Amino acid sequence: MIKNKLAKVAFGSTFLATVAVPAIALAAESSGAAPDWRAEVARYSAAGLSMCVAAISAGYAQAKIGAAGAGTLAERPEAGTNLIVLQALPEIIVLLGFVIAFMIGTA
Amino acid sequence: MSAETATRTARYAPTGRDYGYTNARVRGMRSRLLKQAFFDDLMSSADIGAVIQKVLQTEYGPELEDRILHGRTATQVDEALKDNMVGTFRKVMSVSNDEGRRLLTTLLGRWDLFNVKTIIRGIHMHLDHAVITDSLITVGQLSQVDADELARQSTVQGVVDTLATWRLPFAVPLREALPEYLESEDLSILELALDRYYYDWAAKKLKGRRENVRLARAFLGTQVDTINLLTCLRLLNSDLPAEDALRFFLPGGVRVTEGLFIELAGMSDVDEVFQRLKRTPFGAPLEEVAIAYIEKGSVSVFERALEDYLFRRAFATSKGDPLGIGISISYLWAKANEVTNLRIVVKGISVGMPVERMREELIIV
Repeated sequence: MIKNKLAKVAFGSTFLATVAVPAIALAAESSGAAPDWRAEVARYSAAGLSMCVAAISAGYAQAKIGAAGAGTLAERPEAGTNLIVLQALPEIIVLLGFVIAFMIGTA
Repeated sequence: MSAETATRTARYAPTGRDYGYTNARVRGMRSRLLKQAFFDDLMSSADIGAVIQKVLQTEYGPELEDRILHGRTATQVDEALKDNMVGTFRKVMSVSNDEGRRLLTTLLGRWDLFNVKTIIRGIHMHLDHAVITDSLITVGQLSQVDADELARQSTVQGVVDTLATWRLPFAVPLREALPEYLESEDLSILELALDRYYYDWAAKKLKGRRENVRLARAFLGTQVDTINLLTCLRLLNSDLPAEDALRFFLPGGVRVTEGLFIELAGMSDVDEVFQRLKRTPFGAPLEEVAIAYIEKGSVSVFERALEDYLFRRAFATSKGDPLGIGISISYLWAKANEVTNLRIVVKGISVGMPVERMREELIIV
């Protein structure tokens, strides 16, 4: 139950950060001739939020992988190299978050 | 030692319901379980010396090294295997999270039940202290020291009093059943009281709607079912009235209900039981050994078949949620199975049993 709620919150935040807020910002920009200060605030907030959610998600994934990896290392130290690769994989989420944040920020 | 230092030096134990760390460790341990090829090789050993050499190369090496200092005998190998099993079970408990520890403690209460029953049986039969303690496997809450102390008692009354002094839960049913036992000297009264108490206690402990709790409850229910079925098979041809047969029924089973129990216990031969159980999961395993039963005429054939079935159910628990309690349950039962098989081979080699006979005796490899 708690996991489902967490998943909904995570999905909602990601949707808000990557789609809804930039859309509002773009709509606000396109509606007037001069860029509105509210549109600027919304855009940079969206950029920050997308980076933030991506970083939290990666942290959550790495915590899980790290715990399981520690358990595996304790029993099978020879699996260490594979574990480092698995531990690094969620970093891609942060990189994607950064790219999205960059695109929103420079739009 | 200050509380802070104690906290810092204490071994890490996961909390809550996070199975990531626990299951990774248990999977690592499971990868070291012995394979079929090892058993084939072990069974072809010429003598106990060769068995010791081969077992020393496995995970049982450290315990065996300690034990063979007292002699390179089958008894010492047997003790080393038990030491390893106890150590492994305790290790799994120590790396389990809060929920896992609670569920496993409840399921491993089965071994406490087994130990208390063994001690009582031993004392009832006036067996030597060493003989009783040799048969114990203290993987539950009862430690080896506690079990030794209980086995030292000269009477069953002494065991009950000691359990009551330690405020152990098994004292409750034993105290209630003791007067009837003292009057009739019938051991089954105490055993039935212990069985009823344990399965009732465990069922209460395993109440809840979470997936892991449901899995543990279902497995406990399967255990109860196998015990009830075996009782039914033993009661065949006994012509006991339904209410008398019902005295032996253990509540808490999944498939063997009170009605089915009475129906089966009232049947006159095994064929009727097979027909009735055909559409249940017990139909196939019982039918497989039907010919062996006709040849031997012993209910122990069914006991073995139901034990195999229970082990298979335990192994199957790992096929569900990869981050659930099933991984630990499956591993613990696989480990118990492996130790039993190794003990069979060690005993077999030491008495010169043929390889084919040993192969028949092995549970599941």
